[in-house]
Amino acid sequence: MSRTVNVVRMQLVNRQTYIWVPLLVLAGSLVITLAIYAILITAGVDGPKYGGGAQAPLWYFGVVGIQALTLTFPFSQAMSVTRREFYFGTVLTATLTSAIMGLAFVIGGLIEQATDGWGINGYFFYLPWVWEAGPLGAGFVFFVLALLFFVGGFWGATIYKRFGNLWLTVVLVGLTLLLAGLAWLITQTQSWGGVAEWFVAQGALGLALWTLALIAVLALISWRTLRRAVP
Amino acid sequence: MSPVIEVQNLTKRYHDTVAVDDVSFTIQEDTIYGLLGRNGAGKTTIMSILTAQNFATSGEVRVFGENPYENAHVLSQMCFVRESQKYPDDALPKHAFETARLFFPNWDQEFAERLIADFQLPLKTRIKKLSRGQLSAVGVIIGLAARARITFFDEPYLGLDAVARQIFYDRLLEDYTEHPRTVILSSHLIDEVSNLIERVLVIDRGKIIMDEATDAVRDRAATIVGDTTAVEAFVADREVLHRESLGRVSSVTVLGTLTAAERASLAAKGLDVGPVSLQQLIVRVTQHAAEAADAAATAAPIDEGALR
Repeated sequence: MSRTVNVVRMQLVNRQTYIWVPLLVLAGSLVITLAIYAILITAGVDGPKYGGGAQAPLWYFGVVGIQALTLTFPFSQAMSVTRREFYFGTVLTATLTSAIMGLAFVIGGLIEQATDGWGINGYFFYLPWVWEAGPLGAGFVFFVLALLFFVGGFWGATIYKRFGNLWLTVVLVGLTLLLAGLAWLITQTQSWGGVAEWFVAQGALGLALWTLALIAVLALISWRTLRRAVP
Repeated sequence: MSPVIEVQNLTKRYHDTVAVDDVSFTIQEDTIYGLLGRNGAGKTTIMSILTAQNFATSGEVRVFGENPYENAHVLSQMCFVRESQKYPDDALPKHAFETARLFFPNWDQEFAERLIADFQLPLKTRIKKLSRGQLSAVGVIIGLAARARITFFDEPYLGLDAVARQIFYDRLLEDYTEHPRTVILSSHLIDEVSNLIERVLVIDRGKIIMDEATDAVRDRAATIVGDTTAVEAFVADREVLHRESLGRVSSVTVLGTLTAAERASLAAKGLDVGPVSLQQLIVRVTQHAAEAADAAATAAPIDEGALR
């Protein structure tokens, strides 16, 4: 157990990767978004403004997920860490840092609520659709999204490490074809309306719960793949 | 002494190439081994299978009597830093050492700091920006300071200058004397490490072709130096490993231990017996094995044809 906790410390030994860079990306994205809002105001746009810049650090989490495997896994092997210890320690690290990210989003959203969108009616964190279920619900949604990006990156990297570039491409192309097939099926059965309704009915929180199930599947596949991966 | 590692019929196949071919050997406790062989002979593959970093196609590996795979108890007593070791992105050497301290129970921080000073390793330069030699030093320092019961050094000297290599040999030997442990050192610089290693494991084309005490290996051959005619007469019915001549003086390395009588007769003829370089001997033995393998490979189809 203590060795698994030490894997968390190994992943976080350089705090820059997991904590400071994502927060910096977030802050940078926020500043850029607010600058754009300011331009909009001078151009005479009055209504509330919403932006998608908050997703920027999530993409970075995908990169961190990839590097957690491609670079830290070989290093963990040199540290005589078992694959099980590495896996659970890394998942624990991802959960922890995603939770910090979720917390940062909630704090940002609460500030925006209190200041009426930084006093200029511009929102970066506080997206009404996400905040339907209250601050706790919104925090959960952001947490799940960050985790999805991390585990997604990690999942892709394990397949790359174990089976090579060719198979990763085959899997990704296969998944895309599968989604395209699904879209075709929905179009053929003229059920886009029903699908849209379902998404709306789930709400952000419901979708986050579905995403959590997807994360569990990706994490399980990563685990099975990592068991026989060679650094 | 008891074996700490037992390997039986170990085979590793990559698609259609055989990297390790049905190999069996044991590694004894508290001994320094030289794992020698050419590039691609299978040294790294064997070491990574022993440390459960890689997987055998068939055969069995026991470390401290147990299977090392996913075995934290066994793995934590071993240390294997690869020649091409990867480190986390943006990590500094101090991060690598802090982490090693977490995972190796016998880690000696003072020793690590002394080694850092010895190798003049910059601690505040990112590992990916280090020179090849400094990168090797990071691995060497982890391997030495971890003081694991079994330590593998896979060509640890890559890019290290002669002074740094000597520091590595000296520190290894000093620390080994104080804290005996098993060290498996893979190396190309056979003569440089020949005074360090107690046993020699030579691997060629995935097969172990020599597993002997270093002294016994040295005794396996002798170099006879002197007047060409006298030297040639003496070596006439012996297996010659190497022959060099300059004018009327020849230096011939022959296989086989010299008896006291033979030494006396050599002295009487005015011939000298010179030392054999371990490197030269192993190069010859490896070439011999390769020739034998080639001969067998070319002979096989002919035999088959004859049978038809």
